[in-house]
Amino acid sequence: MAQGQILAGYLAPHPPHLVYGENPPQNEPRSQGGWEQLRWAYERARKTLDELKPDVLLVHSPHWMTQLGHHFLGVPRLKGKSVDPIFPNLFRYNFDLTVDVELAEACCKAAAERGLVAKMMRNPRFRVDYGTITTLHLMRPQWDIPVVGLSANNSPYYLSTKEGLEEMDLLGKATRAAIARTGRRAVLLASNTLSHLHFHQEPELPEDMSREHPVSAKGYQWDMRMIQLMRQGQTKKVFDLLPQFIEEAFAEVKSGAFTWMFAAMGYPEIPGEFYGYGTVIGTGNAVMEWNLAKHGLSMVEAPRTSPAAAAGPLAGAP
Amino acid sequence: MTIVAAFLVPGTPLPLLRPDNPPWSRIANGYRAAARALATQRPDVLLVYSTQWIAVLDELWQLRPLISGVHVDENWYEYGELAYEIRIDVEVARGCVEGSKAVGISAKGVDYDQFPIDTGTIVANTFLNSHNQWPLVIAANNLYHSWDDTMRLGEMAARVADKKSKKVVVIGIGGMSGSILRKEIDIRGDSIASAADDAWNRRILDAFQKADVARLKELCPAYVKEAKPDMGFKHFAWILGALGGRIYGARLHGYGPSYGSGAAVVEFKV
Repeated sequence: MAQGQILAGYLAPHPPHLVYGENPPQNEPRSQGGWEQLRWAYERARKTLDELKPDVLLVHSPHWMTQLGHHFLGVPRLKGKSVDPIFPNLFRYNFDLTVDVELAEACCKAAAERGLVAKMMRNPRFRVDYGTITTLHLMRPQWDIPVVGLSANNSPYYLSTKEGLEEMDLLGKATRAAIARTGRRAVLLASNTLSHLHFHQEPELPEDMSREHPVSAKGYQWDMRMIQLMRQGQTKKVFDLLPQFIEEAFAEVKSGAFTWMFAAMGYPEIPGEFYGYGTVIGTGNAVMEWNLAKHGLSMVEAPRTSPAAAAGPLAGAP
Repeated sequence: MTIVAAFLVPGTPLPLLRPDNPPWSRIANGYRAAARALATQRPDVLLVYSTQWIAVLDELWQLRPLISGVHVDENWYEYGELAYEIRIDVEVARGCVEGSKAVGISAKGVDYDQFPIDTGTIVANTFLNSHNQWPLVIAANNLYHSWDDTMRLGEMAARVADKKSKKVVVIGIGGMSGSILRKEIDIRGDSIASAADDAWNRRILDAFQKADVARLKELCPAYVKEAKPDMGFKHFAWILGALGGRIYGARLHGYGPSYGSGAAVVEFKV
């Protein structure tokens, strides 16, 4: 039986300010630092990722938003300059990444088997979105592990949140099946911020931390409540509250990465390791890890039958 | 004020990438007719607002004198890629940055190598300005700006261009009804997603042609809520603001579907 591993999942948000604050050689703008607590949180995450030694990183990003279906990067190498259209003053990043096309194709096929519209992006001149680039840099600045990049279908916004996240659940299960079929040792990255209300103006010096704080008490309290539940391993409760969290805190988890990741992991009721929290232009951001390997939950087996076969010979017949 | 023409056009790349597909050829042909009409006016500058260039902090204006490259649309890449070369009227654009602030809207110019240019701007420029004869001024769509804010920006931009003695064409880029078909289709059979959306689009287009601004003001809020045109239909607010809150009729050059959503090429009488 085909078998792979999901070693861990990380909540790995993508504010470009964190890359800007770090001053890596790939990023053109130079800063005086800033957002140190979140960047140190990512240092902890980088360390544990390094210890896991995965074959592949899969990342679901809200900034590759697609209308027709769920899309996967499908070109072996993608290279270019990612310029953030909202914060071009902070993020102009020269990227060069390799894609695990075989796994991406397996994910695409498994998604289609589950009734989702799924597509492979085959144009080598495609500009990878800045959310994907930022999360990948913050987790693995060496860029030495192949990736699978997934789009965020707009179903949670176009349909109801419930219907949209049901699609993301299916996508996560498809991802799990594909990892099993290909025998990969995978790490999943949910590129999502938590509360997403934000300031509408930037300070003169963007890295002036005296101007950085939560936008609202309510958003901050929601973030703390959800983080505490995650730290306690109360996964079911987290997902029971997710719709209300999204509604009241404008949480970016609405875009689906968080649901995708947990669905792929099988919604484990294990404590999330909390590495740090901070605001970026007022939005709430946490870096957390669910280490399935440590809890003996990393092995994933491919389903014995495909979802279409499981539905029976009359499935879809009039 | 020397506005010589105004157009509302769609930002979908499908008619440009596959003009041979019959449902999309109506829009492609509409765009070509609009381009011929525009060319007869011999403008100095095209004032463009694109719903697809998103901003969330300040109002953004493109300041790089020449932008070029090859763009791959994040949704419709399977149909091809979009080469572009766009000249910017930097003098007017800079004036719009200052003008935005003067009307109480915080604004910035952007001048960065490989700044991402949105699909809608590229499509409109390719169809309407195919030899790059005329420079553009491009305004972003700030998500938090209201209909009234966008009208003020349109009015201000036209005034800035007028002060510099420019002959202006105003262009608002965005779609009509916004529901797309969420399963793959045979593109030869593309159609507007629902009869209700089609009816709404036609109601609006009819009001354009009858120059019925009062009716448009009455209809637009419900149109936005029920048919979900791009970004609250602010691309029309831009045009209306630039035209001083009045339209004198319109000519419909093309109307049709774009994977279920509504697309129209409209030339307003000025």
